[in-house]
Amino acid sequence: MARTLARTARRTLVIQPRMRRTGVLWPYLLVAPALAGFVCLLVYPLARSVVISFQHFRLGELIRGGADFAGFANYAEALGGPEFWAVVRRTLLWTAVNVVLIMVIATAVALMLPHLGRRMRLAVMSGMVLTWATPVLAATTIFQWLFQSRLGVVNWLLVRLGFDSFRGYTWFADGGATFAILVALVVWQSVPFAALTLYAGLTTIPGELYEAARIDGASAWQVFGQVTFPILRPLFGLITSLEIIWVFTCFAQIWAISKGGPGGATATLPVYAFQIAQSLHRYDLGSAVSTLTVLMLLTVLVIHLRRMFREEGGA
Amino acid sequence: MRYRLLAAAAALSLALAGCGSAPQPEASGGAATTLTVWFMRDSLSDALVQRFTDDFQRSHPGITLNVQIQEWDGIGQKVTSALASKDAPDVIEVGNTQVAEYAASGGVRDLTGKVAELGGSDWLPGLAEPGKIDGRQYGIPWYAANRVVIYNKDLFAKAGVTPPKTRDEWIDITTKLNKGGVQGIYLPGQNWYTLAGFIWDEGGDLAVKEGDRWKGVLDTPQALAGMAFYQRLQALGKGPKDSDEANPPQADVFGKGDVAQIISAPGGAVAIEKANPGLKGKLGFFPIPGKTADKPGAVFTGGSDLIIPEASAHPDEAYEVVKALAGEKFQLDMAKEMSYVPNRTSYAGALSGNEATAAMAAGAAVGHATPNSPNWAAVEARNVIKEYMTKVLTGGDAATAAKAASEAITTILNATS
Amino acid sequence: MGRARRMRRAALNLAALGVLAVSVFPVYWMVITAFKPTVDILTETPRFWPARPILDHFAAAVRAAGFWTFWRNSLAVTLGAVLLALVVALPAAFAVARLRWRGRRGFILMVFVAQTAPWSALLVPVYIIARDANMLDRLPTLTLVYFVTTLPFTIVTLRGFIAAVPPELEEAALMDGCGRAEAFRRVVLPLLAPGLMSTSLFGFITAWNEFAFANALMIKDQGDRTLPIWLSGFSNVFGTDWGATMAAATLFMLPVLLVFLVLQRRVSSGMIAGAVKG
Repeated sequence: MARTLARTARRTLVIQPRMRRTGVLWPYLLVAPALAGFVCLLVYPLARSVVISFQHFRLGELIRGGADFAGFANYAEALGGPEFWAVVRRTLLWTAVNVVLIMVIATAVALMLPHLGRRMRLAVMSGMVLTWATPVLAATTIFQWLFQSRLGVVNWLLVRLGFDSFRGYTWFADGGATFAILVALVVWQSVPFAALTLYAGLTTIPGELYEAARIDGASAWQVFGQVTFPILRPLFGLITSLEIIWVFTCFAQIWAISKGGPGGATATLPVYAFQIAQSLHRYDLGSAVSTLTVLMLLTVLVIHLRRMFREEGGA
Repeated sequence: MRYRLLAAAAALSLALAGCGSAPQPEASGGAATTLTVWFMRDSLSDALVQRFTDDFQRSHPGITLNVQIQEWDGIGQKVTSALASKDAPDVIEVGNTQVAEYAASGGVRDLTGKVAELGGSDWLPGLAEPGKIDGRQYGIPWYAANRVVIYNKDLFAKAGVTPPKTRDEWIDITTKLNKGGVQGIYLPGQNWYTLAGFIWDEGGDLAVKEGDRWKGVLDTPQALAGMAFYQRLQALGKGPKDSDEANPPQADVFGKGDVAQIISAPGGAVAIEKANPGLKGKLGFFPIPGKTADKPGAVFTGGSDLIIPEASAHPDEAYEVVKALAGEKFQLDMAKEMSYVPNRTSYAGALSGNEATAAMAAGAAVGHATPNSPNWAAVEARNVIKEYMTKVLTGGDAATAAKAASEAITTILNATS
Repeated sequence: MGRARRMRRAALNLAALGVLAVSVFPVYWMVITAFKPTVDILTETPRFWPARPILDHFAAAVRAAGFWTFWRNSLAVTLGAVLLALVVALPAAFAVARLRWRGRRGFILMVFVAQTAPWSALLVPVYIIARDANMLDRLPTLTLVYFVTTLPFTIVTLRGFIAAVPPELEEAALMDGCGRAEAFRRVVLPLLAPGLMSTSLFGFITAWNEFAFANALMIKDQGDRTLPIWLSGFSNVFGTDWGATMAAATLFMLPVLLVFLVLQRRVSSGMIAGAVKG
C-alpha cells in the first residue's frame, strides 16, 4: 500500500529532469544574458551599497561627490545602539506573525475549496484574484480609509456590533493597532497567491490516495498529515520561503501607511534603513543597515538554501 | 576543460561588455534656452502660471519656460535627486521648513550677491532666515501664508456669537457653537503648526540652540501650557485625534456645513467653496486669538523659497526667473489671486480690502519660523510632534510624552551631517 | 447522516462567504467611494450603495494633466521590462532545467538569493550609477531596473514550466532530424506559451506598481512620469481628494485585473511544476 502511494505521488509530481550532456559551451551561452543582467544591475549596485556603508556618505557627498573611508564606523553605530536590535526583534516578529497567518489561512482556504459547490468555489476564487490583482498603492489607500478614526467603516461596524469603545478609536495612534492593520493588509494581499497555488497543488493529488486513506479509516487530520502534506511538502517549502522573503523585505505597504510610526512601532529593517537614508540623509548608515539586513535574511533562509543545494544534485 | 574555461570567460566578458555602454547625452543646441521651473501642486492657480509664463517670455525673448508641477508625495527625495543630478531643473520652489536642509547640502547656488538687488532688506524673516546658512543666502523668499480661523457665518449667527478677541472668548463661543449636530471647531489632532503657535504664545518654543547644540523643549511648562490649550480646543469638535488636516481634507469636512470653524490658510476657502458651492459668501475669517485682546495669537509662517540648483545649466537665466517671481509685479498679482502674504513687508498694502488677507496680515505681524536647522526637515519627516500630540490627546501623560518627544528632537537636530 | 452533512455544508458555505466578503469588500469599498459625491464620502454613517452615483471623480482623475502620457509610459516601461525578462530568462531556465553543466547549482542558488535583494536600499547606489552613466531621466533606465527585479522569479517559474514538458517530445523531434534550437522552437515553445504569459504577470504587477525608483530616477521631464506618480497627485497642502484618489486607484488596477482574470489559473499550475525543483 505504502509503496503504491509513494510511487503514484512521484509519478504525479516529481518530474525527473533528464539531464543531457551536450556541447559544453551551450549552457554558459544560455545563462550569459541573465548573468550579465544580475552582475550589472544587481551585484554592481549591491557592491556600491556595501562600499557606501564603509564611507562617510551623506547629502553633501551625494551631491558633491567624493567620500572619505570610514572603516567600520557605520556598522559600529548601527550595532551599538539599542534601536537596531529593537528593530531586528520587531522584524522577526513581523515576519513570523505574517508568514504563520498567511500559511495557516491559505492552507485552510485551499483545503476548503474542493468541498465547495462549483459556483461558490468560482466566486471565492474570483474574489481572491481580485485581491491579488489590487496594486499595493491602491490597497494601502483603501486600508487607510477603512480604518479612519471618525469616518472609517471598521469603527462604524465595531460600534454597531456593540463594541462602543471603538467610537472614534484612533487606530493609527497606537503602535500595536497600526502593526495589526499592517499585518491585516499584508495577509489580505498574500493569502490569494498561497491559497490558489496550494489549491492547484491539491487538485493534482489523485483521488485514489484519499480513497485509500479513508478506507484505512483515517480521520481528516490524518489524511492531511499522512497524504496531503507529505506530497505537497516541496510546494509548502517553496511558498513558505517565498513568503518569508516577501514579508521580510516588505516595504511599500509599511511606508505608505505609517512610515514606520507611530513611535517606530512599525519600523522593520527595510523601513528603518530607508528612514535613515532618505529622511536623515545618512546614506552610509542606511547602507550598513541594509547590508546587515541581507545577511540576516540569508541566515533565516539558510536551512532552505542548504536543502535546495543538496536536492539539486548534478553539478 | 579548456572549452569550459573558454565558455566561462565568454560569459563573463559578455556580462562585462554590457555594463560599460551608456548612451551619450544629447547635445543641447539652438539659440533658444529652455528653463525648467518646478512649482508645487496647487501653489499657484493655472491661470496665474500662464500669465507669468507669457509675461516672462515676452520680456525675455530667447528663453522658454517649462513649468512643471511637482507632487507632495516623495518630494524630499525628488528634490535631493534633482540637486545631485548633472542636469537639474533651473528654479525650484522649496517649502520654508525644508530650504535649510538643501541650502546646507552644497547643491544650491549661493545668491548672497543678489540680496540687495532683490530688496532683501525687508524680506519676511520667516522666509529669509531658513534660506540663509552661515551668513550666505541660498533660498530667496517667495510667498508666505499663515493660518487664520475660517468660520461659517450662518452657524455663528444661529448661535448668536461673534468672532472672539481673546483665547477665553474663543473657548466660550466655541463651546456655545458645539451643540446638537454642530461641531464648534474641527481641529484634527495633528495640526502641529497650530500647536506651535499656542506654544509661542505662552513664551515657549519647539527647540532652542544652546551654544552649538540644539535642545528640544516641548517639555517646558510654557510648551505644556500650549499643548493643554490645544487639547481644550480640540475637544470642542469631532476632529480625529490621529490625523492631520489633510486626512480627510478639512475643507471637505467643513463643506458639509455642520462645522463652525477650522484653522487653515485663507486659501483653504477656495477648496471649501469647491467642495460645497452653497457656502459661497458665508465664510468669515478672523486671526487666531491671542491671550489678550491687544495682540493676536502667534502663528507659524508657512511659505516657500526659491532656489537655483548648482547643477542648473543656465544659472544666469534662472536668476532672471527668480528675480521676476520675487519682484513687485508678480508678487502683487500673486497676493491678490492666491491670498498669500508677499515676500516683502513693503508689499503688504496689496492685502488691504479683503477680509481673508486682512485677518492673515494681522497674524503675520507676529509670525514665527520653525527652528533654523538643516535637520528640522527630518523632525517633520519622522512625525515626532504629530505623534506626541496624538499621544497626549488620546489620554497619555503630557509631561512624559513631551519629554520623550523633546529627546527625539534633540537627537535628530544634533545629528551631524 | 443527512443532518450532520447539511450542517457541515452550511458551515462550509458560511466560511466561504466570510472569505469572499473579506477579500472583496475593501475593493468594493474603493470602487463605490469613487462613485460618491464628496459630501457622501465624508459621512459618519457609511452608505453601502451610492444614492446618486456620479462620474466626476473619474473625470477629475482622467483630466489630470498628462494622464495619457503617464499611461503610455507605464505601459511601455512595464511591457519592456516583462518582455526583456522573458527573453533573458527563457534560455537560462532551459539551461537549468535540461542541461548538465558545472556551476549549475551555484547559478540556481544565485537566482534564489537574488530574490532577497533589498530594493528599497538600492535606491541610492542605483541613482548614483544611473547619474554617472548619464541614464537619469530616461525611461529605459526604469525598464532595466524593473527587468532585474523580476528576473529571478521569472527564471524560477519558467524553469518549472520547462521541466514539466516531457523531454521525450523534444527527443522525438531531435530524432526526426530537427536541430536542437529547431526542436525547442517547434515543440517546447508552444507548450510553454501559457507559462510565458502567466510568468509575465508577476513582472507586470511589480513594474506597474513601482513608485520610489520612478520618483528618483525620472526627474527633470514631466513627460517621463509613470502612473504611480500620477496616483499620488490628488493630494495637496489642503489634503487628499479621496474621491479622485479612489477613482484613480480603480482605473490604475483595471489593466492588472483584466490580465489576471485571463491568466490566473496557469500561474498556479506553473508554480507546482516549479515547486518540485524550486
